[in-house]
Amino acid sequence: MGSGMRRYESLLFKLFYFLLSATILYFIVAPVVSVFVYGLTSADGVGLSEQILPRVWRHMKNSLLVGGTVTLLATAFGLFASLALWRLRFVGRGLMRILVLMPLISPPFVGSVAFIMLFGKRGLITHTLLGFEVSPYGFYGIVTMQTIGLATLAYLVISSAIQKTDVTHEDAARSLGASEAQIFRTITLPLMVPEITVAAMLVFLASLSDFSTPIIIGGGFQTLASDLYIQINGLYNMRTAAISGMFLLLPCAAAFFIQRYYSGRNPVYSQAVSADVIEYQRVSRGVKTVLIFITSLFILFVLLQYAFIIVGAFTERWGYDYSFTLRHFQTIITKESAPFINTVKLAIPVGIISSLLGVLLAYIIKSKQYVMSRQIDFLATLPAAIPGILLGIGYLVTFRYPLLGAGRFYLTDLDPIILLGTGIIIYLICIYRYLYVGMKAGYALMEHLNPNLEIAAMNLGAGERRIFIDIIFPLLKPAFSAAFLKNFTSSMTTLGAIIFLLLPKNKVAVQQIFTIMTSSEIGAAAMMALMLSLLSLVLLALFQLLLNFKALAEYIQEVRQWGSNSRQSTKHTGG
Amino acid sequence: MNRKKWLALVMSLVMLFGLAGCSKSADTTKETTAYVGQDWSSDNYNESLKNTVLNLYGVSDIVRPTLDAFEQDTGIKVEHLTLQNAEILQRLINEGQAGVSIADIWWTGGADTFIDGAQKGLLIPYKSPSGEVLADNMKDANGYWHGTSLTIVNWVVNKDLVAKKGLKMPETWDDLLQPGLKGEVSMPNPASSGTAYNVITSMLEVKGEEAGWKYLEQLIGQIPFFPARGSDPANLVVQGEAIVGINASNGDRDLEMNNAHIALVYPKDGTGWWPQPVAIVKGTKNEQAAKVFVDWLLSKRGMEAIAKDRNAAVARLDVARPEGIIDINTIKLFATDFKANAEKRDTILAEWARLMAAAGR
Repeated sequence: MGSGMRRYESLLFKLFYFLLSATILYFIVAPVVSVFVYGLTSADGVGLSEQILPRVWRHMKNSLLVGGTVTLLATAFGLFASLALWRLRFVGRGLMRILVLMPLISPPFVGSVAFIMLFGKRGLITHTLLGFEVSPYGFYGIVTMQTIGLATLAYLVISSAIQKTDVTHEDAARSLGASEAQIFRTITLPLMVPEITVAAMLVFLASLSDFSTPIIIGGGFQTLASDLYIQINGLYNMRTAAISGMFLLLPCAAAFFIQRYYSGRNPVYSQAVSADVIEYQRVSRGVKTVLIFITSLFILFVLLQYAFIIVGAFTERWGYDYSFTLRHFQTIITKESAPFINTVKLAIPVGIISSLLGVLLAYIIKSKQYVMSRQIDFLATLPAAIPGILLGIGYLVTFRYPLLGAGRFYLTDLDPIILLGTGIIIYLICIYRYLYVGMKAGYALMEHLNPNLEIAAMNLGAGERRIFIDIIFPLLKPAFSAAFLKNFTSSMTTLGAIIFLLLPKNKVAVQQIFTIMTSSEIGAAAMMALMLSLLSLVLLALFQLLLNFKALAEYIQEVRQWGSNSRQSTKHTGG
Repeated sequence: MNRKKWLALVMSLVMLFGLAGCSKSADTTKETTAYVGQDWSSDNYNESLKNTVLNLYGVSDIVRPTLDAFEQDTGIKVEHLTLQNAEILQRLINEGQAGVSIADIWWTGGADTFIDGAQKGLLIPYKSPSGEVLADNMKDANGYWHGTSLTIVNWVVNKDLVAKKGLKMPETWDDLLQPGLKGEVSMPNPASSGTAYNVITSMLEVKGEEAGWKYLEQLIGQIPFFPARGSDPANLVVQGEAIVGINASNGDRDLEMNNAHIALVYPKDGTGWWPQPVAIVKGTKNEQAAKVFVDWLLSKRGMEAIAKDRNAAVARLDVARPEGIIDINTIKLFATDFKANAEKRDTILAEWARLMAAAGR
């Protein structure tokens, strides 16, 4: 019976894999191909074809410049913050672990406006306090805003894997007399290559496909993605947009393959299944200070942004009249509440489903040798490289046909199964668009899981399903948590991709912020951003409570012990 | 019941069954007498339309109070979705081809987009009786769209910075060339925004072709960069990043009222304008209710609501102008000639590119 059961379970995994792969082809590849075909065959294009390539090349250079710089900075920040917050022990660490995640829950364009109001030509800090009159628009503005936003993503990926650090190698080296610097350079850093490269790749892709930051703060400096947005929304030129989109895929594909090449080279597995104490016991004061300083600096920037949001939300007029008012609050509450509810209804299922599917897929691709898994990996990552607006149009042009889009050439009379105009399509685009986040977070973690673990469990008679549920999934939980955090918050604040699919009755809150933003209502926009952030925060706290009830209890225990007995190093063993 | 009524009943039953698979839009319930409300009337309205829900696409979020007033008067509810011009056009094209009807009406946006939409066959022509009083340049000759509020090119000026820097408050287009405003004027990029392109053509109309280009050449020297969207210059001025922003205004009195440091200025030597239309989307299943909406919106009652809620000048002349909104009779206004603009687009953008290149941009 045991082997029959096992075969059945193996079949179950295979079935799941093939079904998910088929839907990836259907909900990612088909729309992407469709939008390119649609763009290239579209008659809307203004006949400036001889100007398209120079234009693409000019913006491509800008994209690579921004992408490269942001990748370096954000990944470095993510790494430093991960080391500081997970491998050092200091007062205020718990609070900082929460604060460092704050950029996730603020709508992206609010950050840019905050930056302008604080560091702009007449910004509070640069002009009013320091007397400068320097325009923040351009390359530096984009790099600063993207770095702040994406360092959090890098931190999320790196820190979710750092929790599984195996310190036995380090301890071994230490007992052999290696210095801490040597250990870090030759052991710790090489061990972290998977998560660092995954983080760097995700940051690079996100930077390249981000169109809202350059639009808001780029001034005369635009990237390929923002130019693509301008082509669509300003010039109604789908052809140039489609060509830009295809060129955008080139550096992204390169990043994908470079990452895969580097991460798979030297697998070093962690022996530890449970979370050991991974904090450095002997680290020089200087290094500790530097790490904490860099992390604090980053958090300071984040806090400044929130200070702007809070002050802006409760004062008459940022920069001119700081008297307290509830005017903006009243403005917001008289608006419809339905968009807020719709936002939550979208973000929670999308966060859970896309993260779960992503982590599952990561597990299957890494641990089972199914056919085409490398290709599926690549295709599922595709949406990371594509500006949301382009994927949105892809959905619009693909799923306007009956039978979920398949009936393009036949069955043209069968209206009932057209996805366009239904609410489901919005869930689908978000789920498939964010699938890669769980997948990549899963990979980074899986690199540290010893495959022998599974073999051992199998030898002890456990079925694949049992292995997954009892062994693998608990180990992958940090990846799921990280992905959920990212996907939930992304869905709360996404606009570009779903704008083509929303219905008047299910519009989302971020849209109102965007409209308020473009109408110069800074106070009302700040209030709206504040409420959206608070809503995200409350929901995330609830979710974390549910997912990590045990860990939380342990954490409280730890804090108590630490408070009462701060001298003694506490050793706790987690589940 | 007399014979005529019986006949009508039988006829309507036949039509009802005959059209059962089609749509509710068939005018089976149409009454011959117009419904007359306070300051509005509609041939298409009757009580059975109450609780109908209309879906609306548009570029403005400030339409909600007007839609609520409409619901109060008619019992017809309107759900609105705010998008950008190009997004609306993309959606209507694709939804039309799919036979998926989401939007019934389209209200607010650039008139050029509506003209484009009418040419692409996305709209239903409807010559509303309420629209008869509108001037010819406020509406489409075939009834595809009618203008509601007006978009007027104006300047958003940061008064504080003008005073602080000892500058002359700009009154004419030439005032934007004063040396103190170097690097402090903002204008959207005509090569990346439809609105901005209309702004450029307005300036060419005010100044005349030749003098216009000469002026633009000098103006380019004053402008540090050209943001992508038509709404950006106003934001830059409010944030203090620029002192004067050339803006396509749909009223925007809120800017002035909410920001003590901001003034809206209309160039004394003339400026361009275009209407913000309303249209019925082809494929709507609520054509009758959509017509009621157009009738209502174009009536005195509707336009008064728009003028009040959007703080904008409107297409009807019998509606009082909201306080603080420029009396369009006191400035030289040039109606944007969309047809000519579309034809000249490549030439104008090429000349623009040449000036930019000459200025080293």
